[in-house]
Amino acid sequence: MTTSTVPLAVRLHDAQRNAEATPQLPEGISIDEAYAIQHALLDQRFAAGERLVGTKLGFTSRAKMVQMGVSDIIVGQLTDAMRVNDGGEVRLSTLVHPRVEPEIVFRLGRDVDPTDPLADIVSAVDAVAPAVEVIDSRYRDFKFNLADVIADNTSGGLFAIGGWLPVGDVANRAVRLSVNGKDVQFGSTAAILGHPLRALRQLVGIAAKQGFPLRAGHVILAGAATAAVPFGPSVVRVEVAGLGSVTVRGVA
Amino acid sequence: MVDLVTPQIQSAADRLQDAIDTGRPCAPVRDLIGEHDIDAAYAVQEILAATRLDAGNKIVGRKIGLTSDSVRSQLGVSRPDFGSLFSDMSYATGEPVPLERLLQPRVEAEIAFVLKQDIDNPHASVTDVLRATDFVVAAIEIVDSRVDNWDIRIADTVADNASSGLYTLGCAPFSLNGLDLAQVGMVLEHEGEPVSVGSGAACMANPVVAVAWLAREVARRGTPLKAGEVVLSGALGPMVPVKAAGVYTARLDGLGEVQTVFTDDGGAR
Repeated sequence: MTTSTVPLAVRLHDAQRNAEATPQLPEGISIDEAYAIQHALLDQRFAAGERLVGTKLGFTSRAKMVQMGVSDIIVGQLTDAMRVNDGGEVRLSTLVHPRVEPEIVFRLGRDVDPTDPLADIVSAVDAVAPAVEVIDSRYRDFKFNLADVIADNTSGGLFAIGGWLPVGDVANRAVRLSVNGKDVQFGSTAAILGHPLRALRQLVGIAAKQGFPLRAGHVILAGAATAAVPFGPSVVRVEVAGLGSVTVRGVA
Repeated sequence: MVDLVTPQIQSAADRLQDAIDTGRPCAPVRDLIGEHDIDAAYAVQEILAATRLDAGNKIVGRKIGLTSDSVRSQLGVSRPDFGSLFSDMSYATGEPVPLERLLQPRVEAEIAFVLKQDIDNPHASVTDVLRATDFVVAAIEIVDSRVDNWDIRIADTVADNASSGLYTLGCAPFSLNGLDLAQVGMVLEHEGEPVSVGSGAACMANPVVAVAWLAREVARRGTPLKAGEVVLSGALGPMVPVKAAGVYTARLDGLGEVQTVFTDDGGAR
């Protein structure tokens, strides 16, 4: 950990709390350093009373990996304060430049020890649900490099989860994102590394290396099934075939 | 149906026919027939179709194009378009498809309808389509443009048989009974990597809606859909350029899969 870790984490935390964009981080930050900044960032939220409720996976599409020049997914953290009820309101003024994307979310039914070479995260999943993620980069113009986005909790903002169901075949479920009733994005859960369970398996190695616990009851946002769209004052609905829907309402 | 062939329409047909004959893409034809004269563009399409029929081909179906909102917005049009499928365009899943037959191919995953009844009704609705459909199968449409670098506007693509090329059909038929095609997830893979994803809803909210539009449109134009015809109902996700020989696999959730195997060695059937 470098001496600049905490000041950079404080800058990102303030940007999030004040809903004001901040410049990108200095060049030359390694992946490990970026995750250290993310931990320092989340420590501030935990110090304020928030609790860890899960993780979110990013760069889970082949196109995004190629664009960012990476071969690994990235991982961010979810707290209870980031959760919005299905049908709930999101005050847009609390965010910098929010976007929404449709996802599916898994729930762990038991603890998984990511350092255990026999850890089988897939068998630990006890439920799946449709989800809508409100992403929000703290950086100006939503522009960032790999270290920037990891440090910024992988653009984590808010999330809402629909009804939980037992895990069936989730390889290629049709996904729709609508804004005020109009369908604007069509995709499939196969957009997530060809199969969402692949992203889940990749999480284990990163959790071991970067110190993310995987606890019973934690939720894991598996990655976007379509491109993100800007989130303005509107009703956003995500529907995943066979899994139902989830809605959030953006208000000024 | 080609009741008024102007010199411009004939010149446009000649330009596209030359591209077909030589295998060299041509300039757009909108300078000849106007960018928005849809009827003139269909007249060009009919001249080119007559040439193929004279050569011994038969029409075995139709294809619907421009079924995605975003593609129609790009072209500044509000309606889809259509072309004809000829007997020499069809391949079965896994059968080698010679790249030599194509100029600038792109692939897209679709649902193919096979009809068991004529739909000769300029007011056909989705119920007429549901009743007339024998079965649906997974399909990969290999679209192609005779226009250099795909520099197309609406008139260019309509004249050029709606940018059709070849197509590959899956071999597992499904009944529409109890099936909501809007809810079909789609992933198109190139050599195992996902390159396009989408769903049935991306095709005019539901592919059945697209086929109903086609049924009305071709009935009005005097060439109604016939029993036995194959209808490629429109892309379920973005199309993907084909750059070299290789394998594309489309998986349609609940409708099986279909594979297109491009070869550059002549691909004898």
